[in-house]
Amino acid sequence: MAIKVEMFSVPGCGKCAEAKEALKTVAEDLGADKVAWRDVDILEEMDYAAELGLMSSGGIAIDGRLVFPRLPSAGKLREELIRRLKG
Amino acid sequence: MLTIGKIAEQALVTTDTIRFYEREGLIRPARKSESGYRLYTEEAVRRLGFIKHAQECGFSLAEIRELLELRSDDASCCDDIYKLAVEKKLQLETKVKALKAMSQALSSLIEICSRDRRSLDECPILGALEAGIAQQRRNDK
Repeated sequence: MAIKVEMFSVPGCGKCAEAKEALKTVAEDLGADKVAWRDVDILEEMDYAAELGLMSSGGIAIDGRLVFPRLPSAGKLREELIRRLKG
Repeated sequence: MLTIGKIAEQALVTTDTIRFYEREGLIRPARKSESGYRLYTEEAVRRLGFIKHAQECGFSLAEIRELLELRSDDASCCDDIYKLAVEKKLQLETKVKALKAMSQALSSLIEICSRDRRSLDECPILGALEAGIAQQRRNDK
């Protein structure tokens, strides 16, 4: 089953969009069959974001748990995803 | 030009508050009088109102400083402010959830109290708290 990656951001934020693309590429490079990416609009799903304990834009949840409370580097995300795929 | 007392009166804050904001870098007098009294323009009253309202929305002083900088920076845009507002709402919602969980935990403790005035050794609330701590230690191991 594919790893579920959810990136939380505020729509319209230019800086978030740039960073998001770089991170999304990490997931796409690993293959959509292995990593399922979902962009989450914080405003639309505020309840879910708060449930996870998210406090700022750019956070990433993996398989329903907040793994990166703040925007990670592409390298760190790749490292974490590869670790999970191997495990 | 207005004295600190006058702007305090108009903004409905104390002069101590204004001096505190000054130490925090949120407001500055336009100049000082010959005798060293702080003098402000009308803009200071609006700035104080801004700070007060931002605090009521849950923004910390550091965040308010950021908002004030964005307010005066021509390069900032709507997105910057919008993002700060959404993030602040998110932080508050996360805290509300955490507080609700605490309230729920307390409800459970209150429910197990039999109110029959036992000695503290037999207090079910204290017992539950100790058992909770013991469980935590086992989980940590």
